[in-house]
Amino acid sequence: MPQQLNRIETVVKPVNTMEVEASRLCIDHLSLQLEGRAILSKLSTTLPATGIIALIGPSGAGKSTLLRCLNRLYEQWQGDITWAGQSIRNRDTDLLRRQIGLIGQKPAVFPCSIRDNVIFGLSRQQRRAIADEEIYKALQQAALWQEVEHRLGEPAEHLSVGQQQRLCLARALILKPDMLMLDEPTSALDPRSRDIIERSMMELGRSMPLLWVSHDLDQARRISNHILFMCDGKLIEQSDTESFFNQPKRIESREFMRWSVCDC
Amino acid sequence: MILLKPGLYLITSFIALLVLAVPFFLVQASAPFWASAGIMVLTGTEWFPYEMLFGMLPAIIGSTWAILIALFIAIPCGVATAIVTTELVSSSLASATRMGMEVLAAIPSIVYGLIGLWLLLPLLQASFDLLSGHSLLAAGLILALMILPLITLMSMDALKLVSSTQREAGMSLGLSWEALLFRVLLPQAWPAIRGGILLAMGRALGETMAVMLVVGSLDRMPEPIMNVLQPAQTLTSRIGREIGEAAFGSIHFSALMACGLLLALIGLSISLFAHTRVVKA
Repeated sequence: MPQQLNRIETVVKPVNTMEVEASRLCIDHLSLQLEGRAILSKLSTTLPATGIIALIGPSGAGKSTLLRCLNRLYEQWQGDITWAGQSIRNRDTDLLRRQIGLIGQKPAVFPCSIRDNVIFGLSRQQRRAIADEEIYKALQQAALWQEVEHRLGEPAEHLSVGQQQRLCLARALILKPDMLMLDEPTSALDPRSRDIIERSMMELGRSMPLLWVSHDLDQARRISNHILFMCDGKLIEQSDTESFFNQPKRIESREFMRWSVCDC
Repeated sequence: MILLKPGLYLITSFIALLVLAVPFFLVQASAPFWASAGIMVLTGTEWFPYEMLFGMLPAIIGSTWAILIALFIAIPCGVATAIVTTELVSSSLASATRMGMEVLAAIPSIVYGLIGLWLLLPLLQASFDLLSGHSLLAAGLILALMILPLITLMSMDALKLVSSTQREAGMSLGLSWEALLFRVLLPQAWPAIRGGILLAMGRALGETMAVMLVVGSLDRMPEPIMNVLQPAQTLTSRIGREIGEAAFGSIHFSALMACGLLLALIGLSISLFAHTRVVKA
């Protein structure tokens, strides 16, 4: 078994084309057990500093759990996660969560106006002093401005699901995060809303790393620069998107691309 | 099985009739009193049945004070307990707290009255240098203890019902625990907590035995009106104490029925209000 793990780690070592030097999020032998079951097993990787990193794998592979560990929504993991050279355990949790934003699968808007939702994560002083320009910028980045420009005072629940998801995105972006994690953000959306979010995220990916969990291989191929393929709590393969889809190194990766299942 | 549906309809119709019969009965029984004394008794301050004086204001004020004291204590304590048990302590401790609250809720009210007589009255007597501990404060404290489980349990359920998606969204924005509590959890749980408070008010309003044992049953206005350390009277304790000595069919008996009607109307209003709030929540 240790031999197999070594082999996996060798394979997933970031390839030369990646911007390893500038990477800021490093995961080192991350393991997590929940209710006696191993969810993540000795997972190690270094994420590129920019671009969209698609985290793919079958259901139950531990993708969403990994995001929650990185965001410290789960705390009971072993191993280490470092962010800009410092273990996230030694960082202020609230600050870390503002720096590494997390967008969930289902949009969770708060029962207040669209404007108040956008500034929800700011402190009271920041909310009082916030300039409309900042709100405009966040909504513009989330590709929502044109649709809500004249209805910022309306309840956020009045928006469609796709618009609500983009509102959640704007809410995270106004905090000026250094990295965004998106847990299947388009799985509940119609194709038009999905396309809008994909486009705005590809734009954002030029300036910060986006870790995007997706079940949709076509989407991963379409939007991402890098691929992390997980199965059964382990990182099976990591490479740039083109290499992964054209020349996968692992048989599990090929099986997953062919059958959308993995027999780890 | 053919008779199942008609049977269910019959039972339901019977219950509906009973619900309608209660206020009808109270109106009918209190009608002679309203006819002879008039509506102004609501503001009268003297209650001497043998002199045909039926001022209800002291008891109304007594009930109001007792409920206000109870709510003033039980709401913060109940909501705080719910926050601690749902957000801060382990699930086993939360379950133990819930069980404890359910046990408290199941204790008969007369037992609370006896606890009040045995523990609370001597304590108040010694603390405030009173002739006896019988007072509106004692009634309010006993009522607070009685409605605390209801407010706590409703608040616990309300906080648990806040969706994990919303909770996680708040945490992902880097909100501190205090900000999460005051900006996400409590605002969303508040409609259901408010419903619980209104239901608790209904219970406090109708409570008789425990209050009767500790309130002192003295028919006079508190002097000054803010003084809750004097023996006083509530609507329920008056009915409980005097109904045995009022001759059936007399004006005195009818006046006590009027007190009952007043209580029923206030209770009904609170229940209806609470119901709409709970359903809305």
